[in-house]
Amino acid sequence: MERDLFSQMDTDLNSISYLSLNYDHQPVLDHFDSAISSMVSSPSTAPPPPGHTNSLVIRELIGRLGTICNNNNNNKSLAAGGDHSTNTSCYSTPLSSPPKSSLHSLPSMNPNSMPFPPDQGFTERAARMSCFGSGPHMAVSGQLSRVSSSQSLMDAGMTGGAQLEGELTMQESGGGANNGRKRKAGVKGKGKEASLASSGTANSKMSEEDPSAKRCKPDCKLGGKKGGVEENNSNSSENNNDDRENKNENDSNNTDSKPAEPLKDYIHVRARRGQATDSHSLAERVRREKISERMKLLQDLVPGCNKVTGKAVMLDEIINYVQSLQRQVEFLSMKLATVDAPEDCNMDNLLRKDMHQACDRSMQQEVYPSAFPYPNQPQAGPLNSLLTANSISNIGMQPASNLPFDGFGNTSAQIGGFWEDDLQSVVQMGFVQNQEGALSSQSFQGSGPSSSDMKIEL
Amino acid sequence: MASTPSSSSSPSPSQPKARKKPGQTTSPPPPPQTKWRTGTQERLYSRRLVDALQATRDRAQPPESVGSRAVKEAADSALAMTARGQSRWSRAILFNRNSCRKRVLVKAGGKIRRNRRKHQAIPPATEEAGTTSGVLKERKVKERLKKLGRIVPGCKKLPAATLLEEAADYVAALEMQVRTMRALAEALSAAAVSVPEEEEMEIAEQGS
Repeated sequence: MERDLFSQMDTDLNSISYLSLNYDHQPVLDHFDSAISSMVSSPSTAPPPPGHTNSLVIRELIGRLGTICNNNNNNKSLAAGGDHSTNTSCYSTPLSSPPKSSLHSLPSMNPNSMPFPPDQGFTERAARMSCFGSGPHMAVSGQLSRVSSSQSLMDAGMTGGAQLEGELTMQESGGGANNGRKRKAGVKGKGKEASLASSGTANSKMSEEDPSAKRCKPDCKLGGKKGGVEENNSNSSENNNDDRENKNENDSNNTDSKPAEPLKDYIHVRARRGQATDSHSLAERVRREKISERMKLLQDLVPGCNKVTGKAVMLDEIINYVQSLQRQVEFLSMKLATVDAPEDCNMDNLLRKDMHQACDRSMQQEVYPSAFPYPNQPQAGPLNSLLTANSISNIGMQPASNLPFDGFGNTSAQIGGFWEDDLQSVVQMGFVQNQEGALSSQSFQGSGPSSSDMKIEL
Repeated sequence: MASTPSSSSSPSPSQPKARKKPGQTTSPPPPPQTKWRTGTQERLYSRRLVDALQATRDRAQPPESVGSRAVKEAADSALAMTARGQSRWSRAILFNRNSCRKRVLVKAGGKIRRNRRKHQAIPPATEEAGTTSGVLKERKVKERLKKLGRIVPGCKKLPAATLLEEAADYVAALEMQVRTMRALAEALSAAAVSVPEEEEMEIAEQGS
């Protein structure tokens, strides 16, 4: 039952909003009156307890209120000065006081008496219904349980309308789309965390524009003027359009526009000029854009990929980087395996010192200055053996690693260049100390900016 | 394990959202840098690593030294745990630990043959279809994507978009792992150095 009502209200919202946008307010009011009459009559037929009756009525009326008060400027007459002041407060404070104060004044003013029960949460719900369309049905239903009292319907209606209108004008001026449609899309986008940037930028773009031209402008940018035509599409398609608009706006920078918009049910993408519009190519384009997005992400992650263009070379670099990281892990694990033995008890302390760089314990303080500035001391036995073992293994790896590292040698933060030089020096010179220096530099300098504190030259 | 997962680890996983209904915006994955470069992850991982290392040392027969492979596996498992199984590679690492060896033993012959076939298949393909440069490039790209899929654990047969996502996360995680292990190794080596030094100093003092 509730869901039927909601769906009905949703469709009513759509129709009413679109009608009212472009046409006179009169048909809206007529529609509204007819709706009211139907609603007023329906409770009489159904025999539920009075609370339920009111709740049903309220739900219907919420929906209709929202849409009408969206668009009707007639309600401005109803909104006394006090109502405007209550607009901002109606959502922060309980709605009991403001509505009731204006309630008594309203019935006299308004010829369009609407049989609504005022309620604390009523206006809030109504506003939310209008703003978010079909979204917060759950919120509405959750709050309907608060419906307790039922005063004259007319009063609540007008207050709700006034507050709704005020809230909506605030919204519109603030950059929300008309009827909350595009705002809904924006909200959905934000809720998806991923399209945060896109929806945010799109919303900011829309906020900069005039409210009147807002609806047309994103359309105009991409595909010429469409007016309210596209808005008559289903909700989902429009949301997809908006999402796609956002995406395309961000991606294409609104460069090309095509006069006719290809209407699709599956994916709504505004086709750019000179590009194919069949669903296959559109889907492919979406896929390609996805991939390019992620390649950009990887580009940021892998050092030295900024100069490289083209998927193949970049993938090469990425592969090499991953392989080098894995080799480093192996090397470090070998090191860890041999170095640690008696120092188990101190591990937690050491970790805290390393990670937080805060020396709590005196022993750490002793260790700290000796460890971090670059001591050139002959190492203990196990380290030497470890390094010799590592040098042998690294020599084994060298022929495989020579080629990929050519690209790394430019920037100082690259591992590859150091590996090349140091491995060659290891091979040629073969001194323990040189090996130590080579291996330490290769292992310690490749990690990036964050570990700059941790560098040690053995 | 002493670590309590109280870290504010990154925004919700992107993988479930990646398989979204058609028509919705593609959600660019949460940048792995923000996830893996926060201090919390490092601390978490370091604790887990320490615990894992101690466990391996206990498990390994005391007279023998701990094998480096065991250390590496422990480190990788700790890393995967820190990823909380949100990414495919982490799940693959965790699940393959248990049954990997068995599979390898059983399918050793099969695996070798598979590899040979693959390596033989690839060169002739590139030679034959090398007419259009675009086709060649596509093949190169596909090759490399496959290679990347083989490198990143658990990503062998993934579509390109997901694979790239996983690769980004894996790269960030590996970087963190390297950093942490390096710091740990340094700390341990410094401690190892300082203790004998202190001992020497003590001996010297006692002697004098």
